[in-house]
This record gives sequence, structure tokens and C-alpha cells, in this order.
Amino acid sequence: MRHAINALYSIEIKSLTKSFGDVIAVNNISLSVESGEIFGFLGPNGAGKSTTIMILTTLLKPTSGQALISGFDVKTNPKQVRENIGYVQQELAVDDYLTGRENLLLQAKLNHIPKGEIDKRIDDVLDLIELSDKQDKSVGTYSGGMRKRLDIAGGLLHRPKVLFLDEPTVGLDIQTRRKIWKYIKKIHVEFDMTIFLTTHYMEEADQLCDRIGIIDGGKIQVIDSPKNLKKAMGNEVISIILQESENHDYFLSELKKIEFVNKINEDGSKLTLFASNGTEVIPKIFQISSKLDIKITSLSLTQPTLDDVFLSYTGHEIRDDDSGFNQRREHAKMKRLRA
Amino acid sequence: MNTLMYDTYTIFWREIKRYKKSRSGVLIRLIQPAIWIIVIGNTFSGTQSLIQSVGFQGEYIDFMTPGVIILTAIFTSIFGGVNTLWDRRYGFMNKALISPISRSAIALGKMFAISLISALQASLIIGIALAIGVNFPNPIMIIPIMGIVILFSLGFSGISVMVAATAKSQETFWGVINFLGMPLFMLSPALFPLELLPDWLATIAKLNPVTYTVLLVREMMTGVSEGGIPILLSLVVLFAFVFVMIGLASYVFTREVNRPF
Repeated sequence: MRHAINALYSIEIKSLTKSFGDVIAVNNISLSVESGEIFGFLGPNGAGKSTTIMILTTLLKPTSGQALISGFDVKTNPKQVRENIGYVQQELAVDDYLTGRENLLLQAKLNHIPKGEIDKRIDDVLDLIELSDKQDKSVGTYSGGMRKRLDIAGGLLHRPKVLFLDEPTVGLDIQTRRKIWKYIKKIHVEFDMTIFLTTHYMEEADQLCDRIGIIDGGKIQVIDSPKNLKKAMGNEVISIILQESENHDYFLSELKKIEFVNKINEDGSKLTLFASNGTEVIPKIFQISSKLDIKITSLSLTQPTLDDVFLSYTGHEIRDDDSGFNQRREHAKMKRLRA
Repeated sequence: MNTLMYDTYTIFWREIKRYKKSRSGVLIRLIQPAIWIIVIGNTFSGTQSLIQSVGFQGEYIDFMTPGVIILTAIFTSIFGGVNTLWDRRYGFMNKALISPISRSAIALGKMFAISLISALQASLIIGIALAIGVNFPNPIMIIPIMGIVILFSLGFSGISVMVAATAKSQETFWGVINFLGMPLFMLSPALFPLELLPDWLATIAKLNPVTYTVLLVREMMTGVSEGGIPILLSLVVLFAFVFVMIGLASYVFTREVNRPF
């Protein structure tokens, strides 16, 4: 058994694989998260993010490979792992029948916070998430954002070394989402926790994370800081929407020959070019298109975003999977939850 | 051991809090047993001579009231585990599972809460029975009766918690619970004396812990012992049932919640 003393890495994942029957949800991933880091796992729904979190929080057993939290193996020392982690699930797991304070009290007792400290800890987190004035109201009367804040507060009440946040802002409106980001940053500074979060929002990963791992189809495509990822992309992104044409493929192969064009992604009539010198590339695109009699509906030049990073590593956009379906399902679930 | 007790109490506390805040359920769950006493108790009042033939001198309604108390206990406790399914669906279970508390504590906390709730419901039924004039010659006996109801419900809630942890859906849960609940109630002397059952049914009834519990409560309520089964035997059977269910429920619950839902 390894001990947690001075563990440099809060999370170490080595060749981790999880399959459900024939479906491989997590495929041989390896990564390490340093103490105090905010690490983001970015990927579309079904990419394997939640499965990974469930393994790291001891809710699922890995099929093969190893995962250590603060030096403790999730498979052989689940109890020690549980003493070191907090986990805020994707679903809102607050108890509607209880008040905000009672929810936190329950969480404090579950995590063996010493009796004498419970009240102060609860006061502190309530203050942090700005719910002190609503603490004695039943959670059934809370808004979605307030519930989420309460849920997050529950996860950090016992000051875990590692806090897992699974899709912390899914289903919330943009103002609420920003507020949650603010709280996460505050928590990170105040409690010096390692935070491991999953998200399928680019902006979220960009705003919060020190490093990002892009996961797709159960495999890690790349791990780096948001800044480096964007830098590695080349300087600019040219998006083109074309009208249909027989010369489409030929056009594409001609574009690839242009100097400074590093990479082209094709998505139906939409082309995305990654180029290191966009302003020189654009005239050449028009020359080729007029030569081949291809009509360009629109063309734009932008600085790279994480969206583009994601696209370049996975070959598809993060939103073009079944997220619409999942969101509806999520919505239906929330409705039932409140009923 | 101390930790197990603390953790069990944590879960117990949460369940009782939830129960207190869902008051509407309390009254709804009383309707059915009240109907049993009032309707069945009066419908079958003509069977008094049958009851008297086995040595019971009171009215039929006096005879069957202990049966209805146990009916309340059976159904309150066997339905009581259903929120395990909600807990797993809506994340509370995961919260408990990733905390340092043991899985057994979750099962036991639920069971103790269910048995207390069951005893509360049963005491309300006793109140209704007294209000409609059921004979209860020695009211102090309410104390041991409550003790027995709590024990019995603890055992029965184990069935509920086990089924709920094993079932992946509400449909499966209700299917299994209804399959178990009614026969266990009917195959006991709750409504008619053991002596009046055909031999083969009486034999089956004697394998049923409900039988011994009904006999105990009836003897305490009416002072009449029936069926030729000594109190001590009934108590031994009841305690054995409770211990087995506590062990079994902890084991099955722990095994099942460690599997993905």
C-alpha cells in the first residue's frame, strides 16, 4: 500500500479501461493531475467522461488498469479514497424534502465531520455560495442554480483533497453558469483543492481549467493547457460555407496545396481551414473557387477557440452528437425530480 | 462498531426527516387498514360463533384487530424500502456510497427508520380501533405490542430493502412486493384462527413469521392465547427472523449497490 504523504499527483490514471459487455466506454487512458490543479475532461456526451469519474470515485470498478487518488488505489483501498474525495454529480442530488441546511448537515454527518465543527463549516460554505439567507427554506423551493450551488457546497464541506465535478453547469442558463464558475474559482483558491471536472462546454474548460484533456470515443486525444492547445492550432481559422458542386473534392485537394494551410476539416458543405497566415490564404481560396466555378456562400476568419481545437483533434464538433437528445432526457428527469 | 452506529443513525435521521415532511402519506396509508377494521370487522361479525368454537369469547372485530395492526406493519414496512430506488436514480445513493460510511449502515438506517414509521402507523390504527369501540382490556400492553411491531417491522423492512436494492425498476419492485405481501398476510391467523385452516394451510402458516407475531399481539391485546403455540416459542421465532433479516439485508444490499445501477 502506498501512502499519501507528499503525493505530487492527486490523481494518477494508468492504462485505465472500462467496458460494459461489448461496449468499451473508457479505452486505455493514462493521465496525471497535479495537486492543486484544475483539470478539465472535455468531450461530447458518451465520450467516457462520467464513466472515468465513477471509477475515480469508487462507484465503478475498472475492467483493467489502475487509478490512484492521493496515492490510494481505487480498487484496493476504496475506503481511503472516499475519505479524500468530494463528488458533485451531474444529476442534482439534493434532497427536496430537507432544507438547505439540513442537506448540508446530512452531508457533514456522512463524511464524519467532527460534531463540534459541523455548524461552523456549514455556516462557512453557506456564506461562500451565498445561500445563508435561504438555508432554512425547503430545497423544493430553490431554483436550479441554487440547488446546484447547494450540491457543490455539500461536496466540499469536508474539505476533500480532490473534488470531482461532473458537468457542473449542465442545464443551467448562462448567467447562472458564470456564477457557478465564479464559485468554483473561489473554492479552488480558498481550499486549495485539486479539482477534476468534466464538461462539454468549451467556454467552461477555457475559463476554469489549468489543463484540459480532450476525450472522445473513450480515448484521450490530447492533454495540454487551453493556451497551448490554441497556440498549437496555428494562428487563425477560416470557415467557409460552400454551395454544392461536383468539383467539391477537387476544390478540397487544391486548397490543401495552398501555402500556410496546415489542416482542413470537412463537415458537409462547411469547411474549416487552419492556417498560420489567414490574410494571405483568403485571396488564394477565391482564386481557386472562381477557377473551378465554385460558389462560396460565406467565409469568415477567426482566432482559434477551443471549439476549433476540439474539432481538429476529433474530426467533429462537440455539439453534433446526440446532446440534444440527452438534454431533453435531462430535462424530463429534472421535471420528474421536482414532481 | 461505534462508527457503524453513528452512520446508521445518520441514514435513520435522514429517512425520518423525509417522512415527517411528507405528512400527506401518513393519512393515506391509514385508509386501507381502517377500511379493513371497519368493513371486514363488521362484515364477518356473523362468524363470531366460529371464533368462539376455538375458545375466543369476544366479538370478531376484537379478534381481527391484532391482525389488522400486523397488516399495517407488514405493508408499511414492506413498501418502505421503495425510496432506495429513488435514491439510486437521483444520486443520493451515490453520495452515500462515495462517503466513508459502510453500505450496511445505509441498509440498517433505512430499516430502523421504516420500522419506527411502521410502529407509528400501527399505533394510529390501534387508536382508530379503540375509537370504534374495540375491546382492549389491558391498555398498558400497548408498550410490549409496540416493541413487537417494531421488531417485526425491522425484519420485514429487510425484505423491502433487499428487493429494492436488487430491483432495477419500480415495476420489478412492486411486482415482487405485491407477490410477497398479500400471501404472507393471508397465510397467517390474522383474520381467522389457525384451528379453522385446513391442515396443509395451517402447516404452511406455521412456517410464516407473521403467524407468530399475530399470535403474540393477539394474546397481549385480548388475553386469549390461541393456536397452542407458547409465547416463548413465538418470541424466539420473531427474534430469529429479525436477526436473520438484518444479516441478510446488509449482505444483499452491500452486494447489490456495488453493482452499477
